[in-house]
Amino acid sequence: MVKVSLRGVAKYFGDVRAVDDVSFDVKEGELFFLLGPSGCGKTTTLRIVAGFYKPDRGEVYFDDQLVNDVPPYKRNVGMVFQNYALWPHMTAYDNVVYGLKVRKVPASERVRKAKEVLRIVKMTEYADRYPNQLSGGQQQRIALARAIVIEPDVLLLDEPLSNLDAKLRLETRSEIKRIQRELNITSIYVTHDQEEALSMADRIAIMNEGRIEQIGTPREIYSRPANSFVAGFIGETNFLEGEIQDIDKERVLLAVKVSSGELIYARMPHDNFFVGQKILCSIRPERIKLTDEPSIQGEAQLYKTVIHNLTYYGVIEHYVLGGFGGIDLKVTNFNPTTHRRKEGATVYIYFSPADVDVFPL
Amino acid sequence: MVWKGQGGVGRLFKDVDRTAFLMFLGLLVFFGIFLLFPILYVFRGAFFEGGRFTLTYFRLMFTDAFYRESILNSVKIGVFTTLLTSLISVPLAFLTVRYDFPGKRLMQGLLLVPLVMPPFVGAIGMKQFFARYGSVNLLLMKLNLISRPIDWFGGGFFGVILLEALHLYPFLYLNTSAALANIDPTLEEQAENMGSSGFHLFRTVTFPLILPGYLAGAIIVFIWAFTDLGTPLIFEYRKVVPPIIFSMVKDIWVNPMGYALTVMTLIVSVGFVVLARRYLSRKSYEMLGRGHIVPRVRRIKGWKVPFVYLFLFIMVLAALVPQLSVITTSLAGQWFLTVLPSEWTLDYYRVTFTHSITVTSIINSLKYSVFSTALDVLLGILIGYLLARKSFPGKDLLDSVAMLPLSIPGIVIAFGYIVAFSKTPLNPFVNPTFLLILSYAVRRLPYTVRAAYSGFQQTSVSLEEASLSVGATPFKTLVSITAPLIMANVVAGAIISFSAAMMEVSDSLILAMQEQYYPITKAIYSLNLRLGDGPYVASALGIIGTLLVTACLLAANRLLGKSLGELFRA
Repeated sequence: MVKVSLRGVAKYFGDVRAVDDVSFDVKEGELFFLLGPSGCGKTTTLRIVAGFYKPDRGEVYFDDQLVNDVPPYKRNVGMVFQNYALWPHMTAYDNVVYGLKVRKVPASERVRKAKEVLRIVKMTEYADRYPNQLSGGQQQRIALARAIVIEPDVLLLDEPLSNLDAKLRLETRSEIKRIQRELNITSIYVTHDQEEALSMADRIAIMNEGRIEQIGTPREIYSRPANSFVAGFIGETNFLEGEIQDIDKERVLLAVKVSSGELIYARMPHDNFFVGQKILCSIRPERIKLTDEPSIQGEAQLYKTVIHNLTYYGVIEHYVLGGFGGIDLKVTNFNPTTHRRKEGATVYIYFSPADVDVFPL
Repeated sequence: MVWKGQGGVGRLFKDVDRTAFLMFLGLLVFFGIFLLFPILYVFRGAFFEGGRFTLTYFRLMFTDAFYRESILNSVKIGVFTTLLTSLISVPLAFLTVRYDFPGKRLMQGLLLVPLVMPPFVGAIGMKQFFARYGSVNLLLMKLNLISRPIDWFGGGFFGVILLEALHLYPFLYLNTSAALANIDPTLEEQAENMGSSGFHLFRTVTFPLILPGYLAGAIIVFIWAFTDLGTPLIFEYRKVVPPIIFSMVKDIWVNPMGYALTVMTLIVSVGFVVLARRYLSRKSYEMLGRGHIVPRVRRIKGWKVPFVYLFLFIMVLAALVPQLSVITTSLAGQWFLTVLPSEWTLDYYRVTFTHSITVTSIINSLKYSVFSTALDVLLGILIGYLLARKSFPGKDLLDSVAMLPLSIPGIVIAFGYIVAFSKTPLNPFVNPTFLLILSYAVRRLPYTVRAAYSGFQQTSVSLEEASLSVGATPFKTLVSITAPLIMANVVAGAIISFSAAMMEVSDSLILAMQEQYYPITKAIYSLNLRLGDGPYVASALGIIGTLLVTACLLAANRLLGKSLGELFRA
């Protein structure tokens, strides 16, 4: 098992800065995700780890060995490509066994290993087919088998599920996770699908415009986004512009006056903030609660709003509310009652200060 | 080989791009010496005398009645041939793309047969059929349809046009039918929906959409007919430009008119290509919408059936007449004032395989073609690889230079080689082997470049990267992944290049001057001039060459399937 470290890695294509000062450590046996919008540099970063690009600055280490100048074929890295890149002139079995032949693994050993891997990906009975005789999902499994049969130090997956249909994608997610756990391979997985990342990852690095915005477990990333980009990129949220009115150090509370005049409270470490600072608040739609009666709910403050739009989904209800914060506020209500609120009606909202994130502007 | 550089396959490392750039410079030197230098040399001969610029010889082309008439004849041959091929090809393309009928595939195959025999070989046979006392006149006189023989070839002028058209229409047919098959049927359906139909629909929607494809083919036809040397020579029709240039090769050091005429030929050819490209770039339409196009195919029904078959039958027959006439000639033991030979013999084939000129020429042609094809494959893979996989400054330049030979007539390159290299160790008057190989190679290079390029394009880089990632070295990757995947394309391109070299006319006639270096085509030409059995042995040799080429093309067809026709497109 190998640990992968990137230190200040940068890559330019002409004048375009594809990857800019990226550093992270992938622990042994960890399933590490690079998540970000398209063009954020995640695939470039992956290809730098694979050795297909040489970084313009910075270092890449496998354990303590600097691999910047090691060509891809000497890195012992298995890679699953977005388009699978199965060799069309070879059968599934030949695709899998190719890497072993290249490594001059003895024939009997080769057959045993290839069969074992085909069993793991549940493709034993399709071994003799050519790639064009396999479905998308089956091709994907062969691509995975080809990458893991060489017992790579690191497994790289470049959007491996993006060409599968929705149902198959869900099945394959757990399958990949199972195999990764079973073989305990240090893995880096690139995707733009946040659900995929949140549900599979040990840790996630969120990338944007070539830089890493935040690294953390799925729960950390979702519940405590490091900045407004992460807050906006992962899940849905409401952004409110405002100014810090007061800092209550004892109760660890920030009082924020939003641009439409209301005062809201956020439970945040106050070290980085000062009174009068312009800031951006983020509140997730599902953290906002609704009530028809203006009675006090604990310590929470109540705000009066008007229902602009209401969409019913069965499990949830989705509201767009006006009259608070000067924006159209998105609110998700779980377990909606049978009682139907009317558009145009007044409704009161409240939320816990712990659910408000504040970012400097 | 490219791939052995320490950087490996694909766009992997920056330092490989430096290697790519160096190879690009090397290729530029190659093209500079064997494509641009000879052409510039011809320009210098045409415009400079004793170091001073002069327009005397250029002016002479238009003031002298003989030259003026010859140039006009050349242009006329080009234009009329293009018109005649259009009349044949467009209806054929329409019928075969839009309609389904029994025997369509066979018909499409037969329509391509004329590609394999150069028109000047066909001309030898046609002369026997259509001469003053040839088969056709004799037959018509026997049937009392005419009393005096008809001059079918109009002193050679119509003969040349007929032969060129019968040889060249497949080019136009392939281009037009491909364009037609590519039209999204909904475009026509929409027009019909708005009330357009019949010829109006064709004129307003269909024709504008196939025009780019049609023009691309029409340019090939025009340039070929305008610059073909062999056919007018066989018809002894001297009042056209190519034979005049041919006859001036022997006094290149005293008479600059050859230079001027060559420059004129080049300017007209390239001028047409440039004009057409400019027009096309304004008129080329991207087909929007659905990726996969299913052309509108209807079955022919009712009263149209006999007409369609009659038309196709006439076309196929006409296309096969030159071949049939050459076969008949090659088998004619006794043929004097009779419609068909009165005796048949295989003697001329025996002569072909025993006579020193013919045997030597077959060996020479094989030798030249093998080497020129090898060079084409090598350069084609290299250029195709650089164009498909690399980015470096000057890439567009490489692309245009590699495709340039498509629009430069063979006669221009051949004349250029003679004048530019006859004072160097490559002197073709002494031994033309090297220059023949190079001229064949340079002219057919676009085919292998295009074939290799599309091979690389179809082979995703990630297939190579996948191989590297499981531990294969770049060389191993080249051998076991890249090479097998582009092989079919490269082999097909090589076969096209080889068969074209085997039956190449202009370079062969001009550059090969001593008997021991004659390739097949020059041997056919010189045998035909010989009294007695000359035309018969020449026909037999022509048939043998044609069979060789046919075998090659059939092999390419097997390898590539339907896309063979695409290689002939502009």
